[in-house]
Order: sequence, then structure tokens, then C-alpha cells
Amino acid sequence: MSGALVTVILLCGLGVIVVRRRSAAIALVAAQSLALGAGALGLASGRSSDFLVASVVLLAKAVALPALLLVVMRRTREPRLVAPAAPALARLAGAGAVAFAAVALVPPLGLGDAHTEHTAVALVLVGIAIVVARRPAFLQLIGLIVAENGLSLLAVSVPGGLSYVVELGALFDLALVVTVALAFTQRIHLELGTGDTELLRGLRD
Amino acid sequence: MTELVPVLAAVVPALPLGCAVALQATRTPAGTDRLNIAAAIATAAAALALATTALARGGDPPLHGDLYLVDGASGVFLAVIAVVGLCSALTSPAFLRGAGRSWFSAKRSRHWYYAALYAFWAALLAVPIAGNLALAWLLVEATTATSALLIAFTGSRHALEAGWKYLVLTTLGLSVSLLGIIVLALALSSSGGEGLGALDWDALEHSARGLPHEATLVAFVLILAGLATKIGWAPVHNWLPDAHSEAPAPISALLSAALLPTVALVAWRVKATLDVAVSGATAGTLFIGFGLASLIVAVPFLWRSLPWKRLLAYSSLEHMGVVALGIGFGTPLAIAGVVIHVAGHGLAKALGFYAALPLLRSDPDAAQRAPAGVLATSRPTAAAMGVSIGALGGLPPSPLFVSELLVLAGGIEAGETAIAAVAAGALALGFLGLLHALLEGVIGPADKRPRAASRSERPIAVLTGAFGAGLLALTVAGVLLPGSAFIDALAKGAL
Repeated sequence: MSGALVTVILLCGLGVIVVRRRSAAIALVAAQSLALGAGALGLASGRSSDFLVASVVLLAKAVALPALLLVVMRRTREPRLVAPAAPALARLAGAGAVAFAAVALVPPLGLGDAHTEHTAVALVLVGIAIVVARRPAFLQLIGLIVAENGLSLLAVSVPGGLSYVVELGALFDLALVVTVALAFTQRIHLELGTGDTELLRGLRD
Repeated sequence: MTELVPVLAAVVPALPLGCAVALQATRTPAGTDRLNIAAAIATAAAALALATTALARGGDPPLHGDLYLVDGASGVFLAVIAVVGLCSALTSPAFLRGAGRSWFSAKRSRHWYYAALYAFWAALLAVPIAGNLALAWLLVEATTATSALLIAFTGSRHALEAGWKYLVLTTLGLSVSLLGIIVLALALSSSGGEGLGALDWDALEHSARGLPHEATLVAFVLILAGLATKIGWAPVHNWLPDAHSEAPAPISALLSAALLPTVALVAWRVKATLDVAVSGATAGTLFIGFGLASLIVAVPFLWRSLPWKRLLAYSSLEHMGVVALGIGFGTPLAIAGVVIHVAGHGLAKALGFYAALPLLRSDPDAAQRAPAGVLATSRPTAAAMGVSIGALGGLPPSPLFVSELLVLAGGIEAGETAIAAVAAGALALGFLGLLHALLEGVIGPADKRPRAASRSERPIAVLTGAFGAGLLALTVAGVLLPGSAFIDALAKGAL
């Protein structure tokens, strides 16, 4: 996968931690998933037909998941923008610091392409950072998808590809989790009138 | 029976999935509950037949297929999941009759509940017989979506909070685990292993010696850290007390008694296969670290006056810590302790959660505060709570008393005397905390007027008798198991 495409995938992930509007976050994760799917298709020549199938499914996911997110976003209109837990620059700096630290600490993984390795690890951590730093349930869910895209980036870059059973199984599990998470998002919105998870802090000892 | 293993390995996870579909076709609540009983008995019978076959083979080499592996550990875990799943399914109608509000519409809530329950049970039953690391990961991830819906079934604000926290944290944890699996696949591909088959447990064990140490260590740490989130090991246990306390009681039983140890089995298999590549001492130390942290974190909460189900949740944290210690020590004595501990904890904890059904029906406020003097208001419920908490605390003749002794002795045998001493101290403190809960919550003065036991409390009395007998049988097994070929094979990590 070209270095520029990998950089685009990383920048889209970092964008999600900055933007305030859910529609912008959906656009970013859609662009990220499409870039990933296109990159996987580019790697398919010279690999098995199973890998080609997995790449097509990855591309289909890049269309289907954002569409599903859009439908749920329209059903759960926020009365006003949820106040951020921290300013955008602080969120970006925090996520960047975590990602850089992990990249510095994790030894070479054996891919032979340090840029892709670093980006994949960084994306998983950026996804975790999005879940921690964003208050709306909807944006936390997008954080999960960003982390999964990081994993997909590494998986398609494995020479010969990871087994298509694993890739397709992981995509199926992701679709299942996202569907359930979207159902949660709608129910939380119905119960609280907003998707702000800061209001879900009643269980403490 | 061995020739039936390939068939049973396919039937055991497929049957509950089929039942989940069949249950959607029923028209009345009574009809749904009746079909649920038949489905639960059939599923448990198939799983117990496979478990019995596996256990009857003793220390013989495991049976392998394309996607399955059946060994002694499969037998133990399948039996626990079958029994707890059966009892959870059988107690579900009582929960559903008393459940007020639900996430789903009144007309469909039963169907959604059973669909999620049987899908969850199917995935759980498949994990111990999954013959491949990636397949086991996919199944563990599949349990997340189904069980999150069940945790938030009531649709209350607290249930939504618990379900959301569980869904997000365990999905993130499992993402980290998948990252580890991909790193491992990379290491394998560099030494010629490619495709799904390279991640088979036996293939991994054979190729472990040739794997690069550093990359395999990174993979091992990532896989274990991710799985720890799902097992509920400290310090990544935040979802556990909330999910266990907010889920319907039959689901809490499945989560605590079946899900947590089953994911621990995957971690155990990862250790058994990659021990050589990461050096056994490092792998063991990580398990011991998680185990000790879980024990120490649980103790202060066991001393607090908590609602019944929340107390049981923190007890799960403590007991998963004991399991981690046993796997970390890895000696035959410790492994015998782990086997008895998984089974004993499963029975005792499930009984405790089933006791919450009559407890919360007669006193709904007990969901928010610690129970007091239940004996004065309901003898059957008090008996169930007493047997459960006595067994969980390790009060002799509880099998957990035997298993904890075996794990600690295994620690001393492994040369980890200081660790064993700290663990013994934490277990003693945990015991005192639970003893306090037993005295105050069950035997102490009541805060409600006594009343006669109702007919609806007969099921909990029957369960108490059956589970009590099972616990005593496990105590005897705990005395007999050390030194057996079965335990020696498990301790050697033969897969």
C-alpha cells in the first residue's frame, strides 16, 4: 500500500478526534474505510482470490457502515452540540502523544514496512483515545471503527494476507458489534434525550 | 463415544443457534417458555455428552478436527457452561414473568431475550472446543454483542450504562488482542506458517520454537492484555461489577460462572502454546501479576456493604484472580486447583445469582442496598445465599477451600512462596469480608417482617440442594485429582 494512502488513513483517524459534528466524523471514517478498501484492492493482484474477496468485503463495509451511521444519526438528533470534554487541540495533542509513545515503544513487528506498522498501531491507539476523549456515544462508536480500521490495515499488509476466514470473521463481528452499538446509541438517546455518555455515570462504589 | 466427537463438536454450538431461531416462531409467552425448557435440556445434553467423552479420555492426547480440539480442559469447561446455561435458561421464565420494563416491546421482549441468550450460549459452548486461536477470538468477540444486549435488557438507565461500558471496553480489549494475533501471524509467516491452519493450537505449539522471541513476546502481551479486559482481571475490570449487577440474574450467572473462565481458558491455551517462544517464566509472571492485582483490588470491595449482585461481581474478580495465579504457577498442583476452582466457582456463583431472583422479587430495594437478615424472611433464599457465599468464601467443606489450597501449594511448589503468601493473605481477608456479608445479610437481624415461604421459592430450594451436592462432589474430586494422568496432561500443556 502506498505511503501516501497510509498517511491519509492516519489523518482521517486523527480528524475524528478533532471534529465536533457527527456528520463530519462519519465522512472522515467513510473516507478512511474507502482508502483502506482501495489500498487492499491494490494489493490483491498477485495474491489469492480469497484475499480479493476479503478486499471487496472491506470496500463494501466502507459503504455500508457509514450509511448505517447516517441513518442512526438522523434518528437521534441532538438538541444541541454535546460540550466537549476537552478542547480540540488538547484532544489531538493527547491522542498524538499516546500514538507516538506506542510507536516508539513497540518493536518492529516483522512487516518490513515501518510506516504501515507505525500507522496501524497508532490508529488502534487513536481509536482508543477517541473512545476516552469523546462524550457522545455515537463518536465513541466511531472510535471503535477507527481502531478496527487500524487492525485491518495491518491485516491486509501481512504478506499473503491474513487468512480470509479471520478477516471476514472479524468484519462480521465488527458489523455485529456496530449494529448492537447503534441500537444502544438510539436507546440511550431515547432514555436521556441526548447521546452524551457523561450522563451515564450512575454506577459507582 | 470417541467416533461421535466430530458430530457432537458440530452439534453442540449449532443446536442452541437453531433453538434461538425456533424460539422466534412461538406465539404465546407460555409456549415460548415451554420450548425454551426443551431447547435448554437438549443443548445441555449434547454439551454434557461431549464433555463426558472428553473427560473419560483422562490423560489421552486430544482429539483434533479441522476446526475443533477436544481435550480434558474442553471437557471441564463444556460441563460448566452446559450446567450453568441449562439452569440460566430454566430460571429465565421466572425472571421474565417478574421483569417490569424492558428495552424491547412487550410483545417481542421474550423472543429477543431468548434469541440473545441462546446465541450467547452457543458462542460460549464453541470456545472450549475451538481448535484455533483466531477462531477462538472470533467466538469470544461474538459473545460481546449478544451478551451486551442481555445486560441492558431492562432498558433502565443503569442497565444501559452497564451494557454500553461492557460493549465498548471489551470490544477495545479484544481489538488489542486481535492486534496481537496479527503480530503473531506476521511472526509465523516469517517462519513459513501461513493461513488459518498456522494459528491452530497444535500447529502453534509445534512452530513456537522457531518463532522470533521479541515479536512473539509483543504478540503474547497484546493478546493477554486484550483477553484480560474480557476476563475482568484487574486493572482492566471496570465493566465487570456494573454488568454483573445490572444484567438479569440468569445472565449474570452465565457471565460470571461461564464467560469469564471460558475466556481465561483461551488465555491459558495461548500460554500453553507460546510458553517456549516467550520463555515460560515471562508468561507465568504476567498471569501472576494479573492474578495478584485482581485479588488485592477485590478485597476492599468484599468488605463493603454492597447490594447482593454487586458483591458477587467483586467476588468474581477475586476468583478470576485465583484462576490466573494457578495458570501462572503452572505446576500440576496449581492446575488441579484451577480445574476444581473453575467448576466450584461456577456452581457457587451461579447459585448466588439465582438466589437474587426470589430476593429481588420479595424486596426490590435489595438491588440498591445490601440485604439484611434474609433468613428471617425467606429460608429457601437464605439457604441458597448461605451455600453460595460460604462456598465462595472458601469455608470448608467448599471445593474452593481445596482448590485455593492447591493453587497456593502449587505456588510454593513453583518456588513462588512470597507470591503464595501474599495471595493467602488476600484470600483470608476476602473470606472475612464475605463472612461479614453472610452474618449480616443472611443470618443477621431482618429489616422486614418475616413471611411464609411461597411456592415460587421452591425452585431455588431445589437448585440449592442440587448445587450443594455438586459442590460436595467437587470437594471429593479436588482431593482425588492431584497426581492423576488427567491433571498431568493439562499441566504439561498437551494440546
